[in-house]
Amino acid sequence: MNGEIVCVVCPTSCLVQAEWDDEKLINIDRARCKLAWDYVASEIFDPRRTVTTTVSVDAGPIPLVSVKTASPVPKGMVFDVMNQLAEVVAKAPITVGDVIVKDVSGTGIDVVATRNVD
Amino acid sequence: MRTENVDVAVVGGGPAGLAAASAASEAGAESVLLIERGERLGGILNQCIHDGFGTKMLGEALTGPEYAQIFIDRLSDAGVISNLDTMVLDLNSDRELTICNEDGIRRVKAGAVVICTGCRERTRGAIRIPGSRPAGVYTAGVVQEYMNMRNILVGRKAVILGSGDIGLIMARRLTLEGVKVECVAEILPHPSGLARNIVQCLDDFDIPLHLSTTVVEIHGTDHLRGITLAQIGPKGGVVRGTKRFIECDTLLLSVGLIPENELAKKAGIELSPVTAGPIVDDQFQTSVPGMFCGGNALQVHDLVDYASMESQKAGQSAAIFAGSGRLPAPSIPVQPGSGIRYVVPQALSGEEAVDFSMRVFNPEEDRYVVFRRDGRVVRRMKQTELDPAAMIRIRVRADRFKDGEGPLTVEVTD
Repeated sequence: MNGEIVCVVCPTSCLVQAEWDDEKLINIDRARCKLAWDYVASEIFDPRRTVTTTVSVDAGPIPLVSVKTASPVPKGMVFDVMNQLAEVVAKAPITVGDVIVKDVSGTGIDVVATRNVD
Repeated sequence: MRTENVDVAVVGGGPAGLAAASAASEAGAESVLLIERGERLGGILNQCIHDGFGTKMLGEALTGPEYAQIFIDRLSDAGVISNLDTMVLDLNSDRELTICNEDGIRRVKAGAVVICTGCRERTRGAIRIPGSRPAGVYTAGVVQEYMNMRNILVGRKAVILGSGDIGLIMARRLTLEGVKVECVAEILPHPSGLARNIVQCLDDFDIPLHLSTTVVEIHGTDHLRGITLAQIGPKGGVVRGTKRFIECDTLLLSVGLIPENELAKKAGIELSPVTAGPIVDDQFQTSVPGMFCGGNALQVHDLVDYASMESQKAGQSAAIFAGSGRLPAPSIPVQPGSGIRYVVPQALSGEEAVDFSMRVFNPEEDRYVVFRRDGRVVRRMKQTELDPAAMIRIRVRADRFKDGEGPLTVEVTD
């Protein structure tokens, strides 16, 4: 199979020509760096996204702390992650990297803070 | 009025100011004062909770707050003094600032000044959308601040006008928070944002992008009730029969950014009519000696990494100016040629390698960006995709262009 996939690893946004079969990526063309290979392979066989959002903060100087999934979650799980995080209230103080939710939505991936809250 | 003396004063505590201040300090400036009008450092990065920052400079994809924190930590290590909630009321060409905060008003005499005042969003007024003036019409960055900093959701059904990166990022953000984003409309025949944002923010959520389309009327009395969209023909007029009403309670505008240079103007700094930022040389010095500029106040960037990198250079130059005062003088003008909208810096000393930033007029494939001096090709670089929405950065070594008579020209060729 053949197709064009925009690599989203960096803002250069290479439009990569890809060739693959049922099991693996066979060839890519027009990528400007090596990182495109892994992204394109993942995009074809197991598309994933990092979810970035906010959760409420209890007793902090600001109402929200920004968070992200520590690594990309399966694309189909993005709204499950959002729904679980809607119920979460984090307690200040919080430091960048603190785990806010462990194993979010059964993905095995943690949600971590991306901001300090005093 | 109280007066204090500093080696380097940096105006603005966003990504550019943070980078400039710590670089000035690391380059030997003994006293560096960073002045920020908001209540926290980091500027717009604080509300940019999505990731993708830092891939060029730090080699990893960080969220905005994480990226800011790295530079805030560097700042405290470097011993920079920051004044928050502090406004610069005036700046004159003798590098004297009048600043004001809770403690009162004071004068700062600076050995050098770095202007890192960033940019602001174009509003409805700037693009003259006809119709009534109801609540519910926002610039994209304002909604981003409401959602990500203040926990305020502005509506339930939104249309986004303009396919700039902030608009695309907000299309995804609103969708994740349960808002129905009806569509993104873009008046140009090509998207204004990065391709990765079209993919991650629109395609992922099946949000339609209508090109050559704009909002021609806003409806509603107290609150927005809907908008009329229409296709725009090649000559800029509405294509007959293409008007359609879309019900929505929120309209986000992502229709461009304008460098904020009120202070630079007060100081008598010459601005470029194309970038709307100061004209600078390869030291990022403006037309007024001892005044430097970097970040979105200089030119609107797509990537914070480059705003940080050029501001570091501006900060280093400011430290040198405040110290020995000896900076290489610009002697070679830079001229944009065919296909190139602008090039920064606009003049070169010829004494060091230069990272040029430029934008093209039109989307094209498989072209070359060619640097020439006196007709001689100095550098020729292949570009597989040229995109007006993507700033091009090309480094050229000084020995390639330092000898010659005329200006250095840059153009797009086959």
